[in-house]
Amino acid sequence: MKEKQKKRYLQSYAWSAPSLVLIGLMVVFPILYTFYISLTNMNVYHWFDFTVVGLDNYVRALFVFDSGFLSALLATIGWTAVNMVLQLVIAFVLANLLNIRQLRLRKLYKTILMFPWAMPGYVGILLWKTGMFNTQFGLLNQWMQRLGFAAVRWLCSDISAFLCCTVVNLWLALPFMIMIMDGALQSIDRSYYESARLDGAGALARARYITIPAMRPIIAPAVIITVFTTFKQFDVVYLLTQQAGAKTGSGFHTILTYAYENAFITNNYGYSSAISIIIFGLLLLFSVKFQRKEEAA
Amino acid sequence: MTKRKWKTRTGLAALNLFFLVLCIVTLIPILYALSVSFSGSNSLLSSDFSFIPRDFTLTNYRKVLLGENITTWFRNTVFLAAATVLLSLTAAVPAAYCFSRRRFPGRRMILKGLVLLNSFPAILSMFAIYRLLRPVGLVNTRAGLILVYTGTMAVFSLWNTKGYFDTIPSEIEEAARIDGATDFQIVRKIVLPLAKPSIITTALQVLIYVWNEYIYATTFLTGEQKYTLAAGLNALQATEMTGSWPVFSAAAITVSLPVLVIFFLCQRYMTSGLTAGGVKG
Repeated sequence: MKEKQKKRYLQSYAWSAPSLVLIGLMVVFPILYTFYISLTNMNVYHWFDFTVVGLDNYVRALFVFDSGFLSALLATIGWTAVNMVLQLVIAFVLANLLNIRQLRLRKLYKTILMFPWAMPGYVGILLWKTGMFNTQFGLLNQWMQRLGFAAVRWLCSDISAFLCCTVVNLWLALPFMIMIMDGALQSIDRSYYESARLDGAGALARARYITIPAMRPIIAPAVIITVFTTFKQFDVVYLLTQQAGAKTGSGFHTILTYAYENAFITNNYGYSSAISIIIFGLLLLFSVKFQRKEEAA
Repeated sequence: MTKRKWKTRTGLAALNLFFLVLCIVTLIPILYALSVSFSGSNSLLSSDFSFIPRDFTLTNYRKVLLGENITTWFRNTVFLAAATVLLSLTAAVPAAYCFSRRRFPGRRMILKGLVLLNSFPAILSMFAIYRLLRPVGLVNTRAGLILVYTGTMAVFSLWNTKGYFDTIPSEIEEAARIDGATDFQIVRKIVLPLAKPSIITTALQVLIYVWNEYIYATTFLTGEQKYTLAAGLNALQATEMTGSWPVFSAAAITVSLPVLVIFFLCQRYMTSGLTAGGVKG
């Protein structure tokens, strides 16, 4: 019997091996290697003859304020907060409106609203960049000029770049959130609303005491995933403002574009790796915390 | 007509108007690109722009479809995507089956580790991967990129298929085992057909990931001959933007079409994969 058990274990390991080896080689090992690089002074001038410098890169990232990491981190937290609040509120309102029973064209509207999600993400972002925000022939400036205003360089200053990125991010992310909320709304038993209406509860009271509590457990996993993807946002900010060779001059960075810039544009590999490890640590902390919450719930 | 009925009617009309406007606003960037892609390049800078192209032309699309670059990029993308999907599934499905059905030492620990690894953004290890692949001669090759893509999607593929296997009741397999079927037969004849939806979802997600990935492709590949569509489009946009905005939008629309078709055909699968396979251990 024991022999047989052992054989089954071995078989399980053998069947899992290709996947686990792949993950080990292409995910785990690069992370460990990144950690090693973070302890060195590797950069363009020290490609082979780098030396181990200990925690210097971490000190520089965490305790030298004008190194830029802490401000990028703060900007990323602000970015996540603003985007999540707007996303949840807008998606909640739209999903509720889509569920008004007499709305016959609901299906058509939903399909059209899914388009930004269905497009390849980078194509959508690039279309916004040139089609809408471009200083010369972007639609926004064509409209501004027709209204008699001067052309605006939308992506060039920090705050306006932040707002433009937020608009594009909402455009990309809202369809998913609307769909999740729409699904959650449909799972709520209609009879709750009817008895609440008999008791004289208004629309706001119904939303607050029935809709939101009933939706919360259903949408929680999707919301958590979205918080992570927003925090880890790279494409929107990079493609709109930070592309190598086409920087717009905006200083708005999320931590990921900041890490990318330090690795591939200013070539501070050691420093960039230290930032990567710090970001990974932060994400680990969050995900462990969320997991605990989920298990408790 | 009673007053109340009249009130709900106007309310409904307002609601429909609201959604109509919202849909148009949502589609503006796409409609604009569509219109530019069909117009001759000189109508571009005129200030009185309309969403209906004025001098309608197919030149931009002809340039895109007959241009040598884009057909090469298309072929590269299809090859990379197919290889990555195939490799991902071959690695993920047997492992997912074991993690779902079997119990063995280390299983829980590995699963927990996978969840944590999933939070590591692939971009952050790009430099380390570059430095690791260069001495082995895998930078600037398709094989290297396939390895990177398969690795990046490996955790997701394993997790997603495992999550689905968990929902398939194991009684059917036990019945087959009593009838004398071997493990291999059970997997091939019972588990795989039942797991088809999750295999499709996983394959689609990997496919769309490769189709849309540009940052690894532009960093690891040099020379436009080797580019994927995403990398090529990105390069097109970055280098010669002003001259070729109509060509670029034609290319953007062309590249998006297959993804749009896949998305709307398989919408059912897309969402079930994203939510069901998600977080639960």
